Amino acid sequence: MMSLTKVRLTDVVKKQYAYKLKAYIQVFTTLIALQLLAIFFSLNGVGSMGSSSESLEMDVHYYSADIVVFFTMLWSFIIAILITTKAYRNDDFVFVTNRVSSNLSNALFLLTASVIGGVTAIMSSYLMKVIMYFFVDAQYLNGTSIMAAPMEWLLGIFSTTCYVFLLGALGYWVGTLIQINKAFALLLPALFFGAFIVEGTGTAKLVSTVYDFIFTESSILLFIVKIIVIAGLLFSSSMVFSNRMEVKQ
Amino acid sequence: MNVIECNRLTKAYGGAKALNNLSFKLEENKIIGLIGRNGAGKTTLLKIIAGFMKETSGEIQVLAEKPFNNLTVSANVIFIHDQMNLPTALNLKEILQAAARFYENWDDELANRLFDYFSFNSSQHYQGLSKGMKSTFHMILGLSARCSLTLFDEPTTGMDAAVRKDFYRALLKDYIAHPRTIIISSHHLNEIEDLLEDILLIKDGKEYLHLPVADLKEWAIGLQGKTAVVDEWTQNQEVIFTKSIGIDQSYVVVRNHFSEADWQTARTAGVVLTPVTSSDLCVYLTSKTTGGIDDVFN
Repeated sequence: MMSLTKVRLTDVVKKQYAYKLKAYIQVFTTLIALQLLAIFFSLNGVGSMGSSSESLEMDVHYYSADIVVFFTMLWSFIIAILITTKAYRNDDFVFVTNRVSSNLSNALFLLTASVIGGVTAIMSSYLMKVIMYFFVDAQYLNGTSIMAAPMEWLLGIFSTTCYVFLLGALGYWVGTLIQINKAFALLLPALFFGAFIVEGTGTAKLVSTVYDFIFTESSILLFIVKIIVIAGLLFSSSMVFSNRMEVKQ
Repeated sequence: MNVIECNRLTKAYGGAKALNNLSFKLEENKIIGLIGRNGAGKTTLLKIIAGFMKETSGEIQVLAEKPFNNLTVSANVIFIHDQMNLPTALNLKEILQAAARFYENWDDELANRLFDYFSFNSSQHYQGLSKGMKSTFHMILGLSARCSLTLFDEPTTGMDAAVRKDFYRALLKDYIAHPRTIIISSHHLNEIEDLLEDILLIKDGKEYLHLPVADLKEWAIGLQGKTAVVDEWTQNQEVIFTKSIGIDQSYVVVRNHFSEADWQTARTAGVVLTPVTSSDLCVYLTSKTTGGIDDVFN
């Protein structure tokens, strides 16, 4: 008898993580394409105001990376769904895996993708400045620079990463549910839009409560705790749901 | 030690039972042929052994552990089948490198030699391969991983005759150098029977026969002669297959309970006794009726 190979979960997760960074490289190509598209949309400014008198006309445009951040969050949501699909899930089973290690390495991969997405999204504002310098005829007024407020800059990257990761966790959860039962592909969007409709009628304030809870937190510490708890809940429930899922070709 | 122990293993898909109270034990370091008709439950059984699926009821132990969701089983079992999902972003060489990182006993040299022998190109991608080439590539993965338990489900799908021969030879050579348990399911029993030590024949999700190949060759015997005489001889015997040949002649396969003396008397009565090849026997044993397709037309 050949002696049995004993493996540790952490080793397998590490190997799977390294493998996924390589095998899922296409998702980053998508990220670049989406962010470039978002920069293009942003060149028109995210907001503007203007005033004029007899001899003077003034237009003020606001430019920011908000659209890029939004697109990056969307990207994170979609790739998270993508890696729960059969083609990606069954990839793991060619090599050494169980469902726990597969889920853990997916979470690590999404976290890495979120950091990359968050950093590039914030950095995209510099690319925008360069493009505007050459192509947009405007007087440059004000902006945040790393030198002026390094902490704010880092905080921006950090919170963007957190939001991107949160959306990734949500996408992973949605994707897992859909893999368990295809009915969720109809049910979840219905619930999502239903919540908006209910909000519109004014009977319940579901959407705004959730929005306020996540997006308007002013304490950074509380914000981190919220993100960790929510993402943790999403991933662990995905793990529980998928732990009995069979591999079908 | 038994590599696999199954006890009343059942797997149901909806109402249909792919495996139905299957019980058997497989000893280590043998090449075992898993034989059965289409839909007999071969693939389902292999998937449960590999931990891809969970049994509906009954028990299964692979390498003394329950296989479903088991890392040890996953690390020591490789399941090669023709619908493997290999990453599309990696080229063939990179897939081999990835496999090498996961499987501890991986033999890099063997993988590279086979890779070159079958003239694969490093920069090729898996999805660009033909069906036979895919199977050949799977085979390289399966052999090089050197897992204690190697499962091949229809490994030769799409391979041409020359590659099939190479595969069987490579399998045998590697097995002799590194003995391990290998299970092959195949439709080409005549091609693989020389490799096999044991045969596990399953029919309708149940174990039908489990015995050494050598015994299988003597397990049954064919009698041919005048229908009346043959019928007389096969009375009270376990008839496995009957076929009428021309007018008043028939060929009947029965369990081989005959003694040497019986053989002599049968011959003098004008009955020709012939051995039944393993692959023919398996076809007869697993068919639903004793007359085969002829029954449809009678």
